Amino acid sequence: MVKADRWIGLFFSLFAFYVCVEGVRLGLGTYQRPGPGFIPFYAGLILGVLSLAVCLWGFLGQTDKPDRWQNRGQIAMVFLAIVGFTLLVEWLGFILTAFLLVAFLLKVVERRGWGFSVAVAVAVAGASYVVFDLWLRAQLPAGILAS
Amino acid sequence: MDALEGLLYGLSLAFTLKNLAFVFAGVLLGTLVGVLPGIGPAAAISLLLPSTFHADPISSMIMLCGLYYGTMYGGSTTSILANIPGEAASIVTCFDGYQMARQGRAGPALGIAAFGSFFAGTIAVVGLMLLAPTLASVALKFGSPEYFSLMLMSLTLVTYLSHGSVLKALMMTALGLILSTIGLDPVTTKLRFTYETLVLRDGLGIVPVVMGLFGVSEVLLNVGETMNREILRSKIKNLFPSLKDWKDSALPITRGSLLGFFLGIIPGLGTIIPTFLSYGMEKRLSKHPEKFGTGVIEGVAAPESCNNAAATANFVPMLSLGIPANPIMAILLGALTIYGLQPGPLLIREHSDLFWGVIASMYVANVMLLVLNLPLIPLWVQLLKVPYTVLYPMILLFCLIGSYSLNNNVGDVIIMCIFGLFGFLMKKFRYEPAPLVLALVLGPMMEDNLRQALLISGGSIATFFTRPLSAVFLLVGFVSLLLPLLKLRPTAKFRAQE
Repeated sequence: MVKADRWIGLFFSLFAFYVCVEGVRLGLGTYQRPGPGFIPFYAGLILGVLSLAVCLWGFLGQTDKPDRWQNRGQIAMVFLAIVGFTLLVEWLGFILTAFLLVAFLLKVVERRGWGFSVAVAVAVAGASYVVFDLWLRAQLPAGILAS
Repeated sequence: MDALEGLLYGLSLAFTLKNLAFVFAGVLLGTLVGVLPGIGPAAAISLLLPSTFHADPISSMIMLCGLYYGTMYGGSTTSILANIPGEAASIVTCFDGYQMARQGRAGPALGIAAFGSFFAGTIAVVGLMLLAPTLASVALKFGSPEYFSLMLMSLTLVTYLSHGSVLKALMMTALGLILSTIGLDPVTTKLRFTYETLVLRDGLGIVPVVMGLFGVSEVLLNVGETMNREILRSKIKNLFPSLKDWKDSALPITRGSLLGFFLGIIPGLGTIIPTFLSYGMEKRLSKHPEKFGTGVIEGVAAPESCNNAAATANFVPMLSLGIPANPIMAILLGALTIYGLQPGPLLIREHSDLFWGVIASMYVANVMLLVLNLPLIPLWVQLLKVPYTVLYPMILLFCLIGSYSLNNNVGDVIIMCIFGLFGFLMKKFRYEPAPLVLALVLGPMMEDNLRQALLISGGSIATFFTRPLSAVFLLVGFVSLLLPLLKLRPTAKFRAQE
């Protein structure tokens, strides 16, 4: 257990409570004819009990040293980059978005040179378009390039 | 159809030009995935899955299965040459494999790993071929209570055998069960937890979830970490082990293969724990146990054979019962459903072409891996030199393409991103993703069988305890929940060794 388990346990207890309420709203049915809320309710109940146990254990039991959180900025940037890709891909199209994603990761996150970042981004975006869209017919969005 | 007849039929399917090409593509990509750290077989199979939608199910399964054994072969190369396990089942190979390489014996280490894997793979395919149809015919007699209890037992076993805290693993199982209820309720057609979003109507897709949990999260964990990849520069020679090496390895390979096969059948054991057990067993049986860890060939031969046998044995519960033994099998099970096939004991009877085609392709894949991989080792060594900073943008891009092309829908990509972040946090706070994935896959089947059993028994829960087989499954499940309280878990010491 780590110290954060106290809060994780608490968070999942609240989530489990919500699931149980939603289970009741969906309808528990009877034992002979279980309703759509039957499994969510009981799974929520189990999750709630376990989460409370984890929470209590976090407060009362011995806690281990937590993992190091290095490179938080880089991790956040990588995650934001994939979220950005998701938001832009249908509008800008696959090729442009893929180029921007790879170039951003190499230039901004990894601090590589401009020439290297752009060259790798062009190569990766181009090659993945040929393989996935043209060869494997994945129907990737064309975006603004379609017009 | 008896086994020989089935095998011949399977070989006639596997030896078509198209299917040979699919096996080849699978094993080659698998070896590549095994060699490259940062992407494992679960993420790779999910990534490749959407591209198989245009092919027929047999060819697709052949390729995906080939990819799985390919990773087992490829993982050993990095373990021996760079002391980095390409995938988790090759961790043990580092202990003696890398030491052998440092002593200038990289060739025999790679050679025995390949030959041992070939032998184990072949033995395990024979076992799979004989055992799966028998198990499936027994399972045909199961009713809903037996099925429900069997799945419950599988989930508790996975929890028991998980690496970290049992409490946390159970939490993830319950969360997986909740997540499995998202979508349309099959009985009442009521929508559950969909929040008027179209992408959730058919439930949470296993592929974007796995890509997030095993692909994106792995990248987030490795970003900015300096990977120390010290690849041995000496020339690799003598790939064919000497007579003495063969003599020392023959029994460890046999024992590793048998142990791997029997342990691989048990849900939750996967491929990692059997390799540790095999290594431990060899050390105990050895006349010179003190030399283990200093570069003895038995320390490579046994675990490498064991992981390949276990990988093949994982298919036994999946193909015969529709129960996945690990997250990779869960994805393959999901793939079968996407191809329109119903996993379970009827699969072998109703789709014998798929079963025997896959079995025969496993023999072909084993031969291909042996013939192809040894000469390609210099190429894999070159690939190891590609820096991770260049590799991970590509892994991320492939994950994004893979999840988008499932339904040509950004919704799946959003799910993948969410589970990527969730998986990252899970690993940071020591929560296991495997129980969540298995519960997510088994959840709908468990719910279906639970409802049927209760309906038939008139709402009596006693039906699960009064039917003998169901009671046995529940008892095993209950015991596996009790054992951790008595501190009887095999995984704790492996975690320390890892």
